[in-house]
Amino acid sequence: MHKFDRINRRDALYLGLTGLLASAALHVPQSRAAGTINFADIGVGDPGGDWSKFTAATGYGVNLVSMGNAPSAVLNVLVAGGGQGTYDIINIVGGMQKPLVENDLVVPIDTSRIPNWSKDTYIEEFLGKGKPGFQFIGLNDKIYGVPTVLQGDSFAYLPEKTGPLDSYAALFDPKWKGYVALEDNYTTAGQKTGLYLKKAGLATINNPDDMTKGEFKTVIDFLIEQKKAGQFRVIWNSFEQAVNLITSKEVYVIDCWEPMVFVAKSKGVNAVYADPKEGYLLWAMAAYLVNNPSRTEEQTAAAYGLLDFMLGGWYGAKITGLRGYMTNPQAPEYAKSNSAEFSAEDAKKVEEITANVRRKFQQGGTWQNRWPTEVEFYESEWARFKAA
Amino acid sequence: MTGRAPFYRTWPMWLIIGATISFLYMPLVPALLLSVRGEGAEDFTFRWFYELWHIPLVLKALRATAMIALLVGLIAPILGLLAALSIRELRLPRLILLIMLLPLFIPGVSMGLACAFLFRLLDVPPSLLTITIVQVLWALPFATLIILTIMSTVDPVYLEAAYLSGASRWRAFCDIELPLIAPGVFGAISFSVIISVNETVRTSVVQGAWNTIPTYIWSTYKQIGLSPALYALMALVILLTVALAGFYLLLNRPKRPAKVPAITQASEM
Amino acid sequence: MQWARRAWPRVTRAGLLSLPVIFVLAFLVLPLCLTIVISFWERVGMKFRPALSLASYAAIIEGARLQVLQRSMIVAVEATALSLLIAYPIAYFLARKAQPHAARVVLVLFTIPFLINYIVRNVAWTSLLGRNGTINDILSAFGLIDAPLDWLLYSDFAVFVGLISSYMPFMIFPLVLSIGAIDKQYLEASALLGARPATTFLRIVIPLSLPGIFAALIFGFVGSFGESAVPIIMGGVGYELVGNTITSSMDVLNYPLAAALSSIVVIIMLLLMLSWYFIFDMRAFLGKVLQWRGS
Repeated sequence: MHKFDRINRRDALYLGLTGLLASAALHVPQSRAAGTINFADIGVGDPGGDWSKFTAATGYGVNLVSMGNAPSAVLNVLVAGGGQGTYDIINIVGGMQKPLVENDLVVPIDTSRIPNWSKDTYIEEFLGKGKPGFQFIGLNDKIYGVPTVLQGDSFAYLPEKTGPLDSYAALFDPKWKGYVALEDNYTTAGQKTGLYLKKAGLATINNPDDMTKGEFKTVIDFLIEQKKAGQFRVIWNSFEQAVNLITSKEVYVIDCWEPMVFVAKSKGVNAVYADPKEGYLLWAMAAYLVNNPSRTEEQTAAAYGLLDFMLGGWYGAKITGLRGYMTNPQAPEYAKSNSAEFSAEDAKKVEEITANVRRKFQQGGTWQNRWPTEVEFYESEWARFKAA
Repeated sequence: MTGRAPFYRTWPMWLIIGATISFLYMPLVPALLLSVRGEGAEDFTFRWFYELWHIPLVLKALRATAMIALLVGLIAPILGLLAALSIRELRLPRLILLIMLLPLFIPGVSMGLACAFLFRLLDVPPSLLTITIVQVLWALPFATLIILTIMSTVDPVYLEAAYLSGASRWRAFCDIELPLIAPGVFGAISFSVIISVNETVRTSVVQGAWNTIPTYIWSTYKQIGLSPALYALMALVILLTVALAGFYLLLNRPKRPAKVPAITQASEM
Repeated sequence: MQWARRAWPRVTRAGLLSLPVIFVLAFLVLPLCLTIVISFWERVGMKFRPALSLASYAAIIEGARLQVLQRSMIVAVEATALSLLIAYPIAYFLARKAQPHAARVVLVLFTIPFLINYIVRNVAWTSLLGRNGTINDILSAFGLIDAPLDWLLYSDFAVFVGLISSYMPFMIFPLVLSIGAIDKQYLEASALLGARPATTFLRIVIPLSLPGIFAALIFGFVGSFGESAVPIIMGGVGYELVGNTITSSMDVLNYPLAAALSSIVVIIMLLLMLSWYFIFDMRAFLGKVLQWRGS
């Protein structure tokens, strides 16, 4: 018998099996043919997994892929080989136009193809050209992002421990030393501190939303001083961590996002999202259309359909109810008039949230800047703060 | 058995070991408890496990994890087996062993980053394959060591007997050694699967838009917070790991040196 | 072509056998060299391009990151030393005194927490160590403390707890291997010559298990030095270690900086590994595990 008989057969079996498995593994599960839109989202834009209304109206399904909010996550999704060819829309916190456009990653939005655009009065009111909010969706007078969510951030506190608080000064109040937490993010915590320092007259800052090197250094120096005095318990960077800090009452005052307050309340902890007199940190989500020259005309039309859907009543009401953010003007009315889909309680919640956020926008504050001019300096300064 | 004290005599040490083990397992308990805690009126429920199946992102991550674990569980032990053989057969045993153990010395982030650079430069898009490669790298030293260990328990006398009966090296390996080290190989497979299912850091750097169960848990933790269903997922991971570890233990029970039936076959050739 | 047909099996054999080594060289060694090369490149917006610039290293030395490196080293060394103090007695016991079957079960029990991914492992620590956490509750229930202990969480203590619980189990293995490899005749001889158990331990066991100790120290150090999750979850105010700095640099797309940091870390590890390799004979370390064919 030839020495290699059995080996060859066994080898072939092995190789065949591995090959089969490998090809099964490499087979990209998302099919492009059967009318699906590939939608990358940071978790905010997911209406509970239910896109049936959209599919019923247009015949296209939605394949939602979750991604992180950091610039690297965006890069990973878009640039790291093939991303541009895979995704149609990415839904992230706006303000990233500059790097995205510079690298040819997104295309301008043709707002005439989105019927709901003109119905969304918030866009013109808060994000119109010439207004500071425009930097969330546009660059050089062109529109790139569709603002599906708007929100104003401040901070949260436990009223039973601190009484009512109405200023960012609470974050730096020695009374709460060791019971304060900040977010690990120079565009939120850093900017809020800048806003506070400016309004309190503790530092000369022209624009908290785009500080110069000198101005930001002052902010960081201030924060380092506070840190060394033991003011902060922790610098958090995960949603769950922030919620835990509130529900376990580990801290009394925390710079965080409003959804965390909702979650804490649902767990029975009385937390309040503050209305500081200095104003709010305003931001908007922006859904960008990915630049893909080989995308078919039908696919692009379907993508525009999705963008339109996201500015619509049902989506808006759903997201407001789930996340606590303001979406678009049609949302509260839709929720009220569709009692089959939204209970009276839900509708009321949507209305309240919308009214609340509108108030915040009217009061104003500072628009969060996600890609400041001196972003590299911001980075290294923030690293200095963390290492101090 | 000289030098081995009976159980009751050494109880203080067992107490310390017990305490250490409890300390190590303590953090796992809350996840397990939270996965079955009921809401409102009920104390205890399996509802969250059921709900898991309805989250599309979880299902996708599950599928990815399963496929990758399958690949890693196949590739790493095979490579480990080849490595163990090469340590024995090729001329540079210490160097080869050193190279095989290299992944143990590189922190996860650095390993992931290095591979990401390689893929980026070669224009290889992130895919299940890139994730598999990184995880195989991490599992390889363990697989190699496990198989090396069990190979050392094979009395070379059997192999010598095979050679004396005229078997070629390859034949002797297939008919004699492989059956004897089979438990070790399966042990390496289960160990590799454990590693693959739990690997987070290296995977997260090269995964692109794909998610495995651990990276999904991590990104949910960071972005929208955990929910009871997620705790159920964590509980599943813990249970799977424990089951696989138990399987590994079972396979590598000490056996009495048995008569090897293959020897009689070899002598018939 | 007779020689080809006879040589072919040998070539395939050599090829097959070197497959694992080639795999590691291609996917680990080569990429690591690549990392070092990239650390000299320049960052341009979202991408980076080939250059020969020391900008990244300058950024590390001038900025806060050097501090981070130093702190990581110190923390890693301390955590490793503490872990060794805990691991050694356990390893000694398991290798020499316990019943082998029980020892094997215990070893597997130690592996499991190490293998389970770090989120599942570490998330629960916050609920155990927090101001209103389980431990504080128990302590105050027993009247041992008046106010909740602050330093249990978000402190050096917490980071050590996290690091030790993550890497100590892993350190037990090389220790068990090398202690188990000590030929018991040495111990018996020492006893016969009149040495007390303590002396035998200090002068025979420890020196002979040095390869394993060294290996354990390296594994522990590698783990702690490169750790990025524990500081995030359990560290205090921006408690940053090298692993975090690398991930934050990646998060803002400063890949050359991440590469520079990573290269520094890897080179330190490699130096440790090579010193282990050259100082100690690996056969002694692996002991009974390895049987060298023909040697």
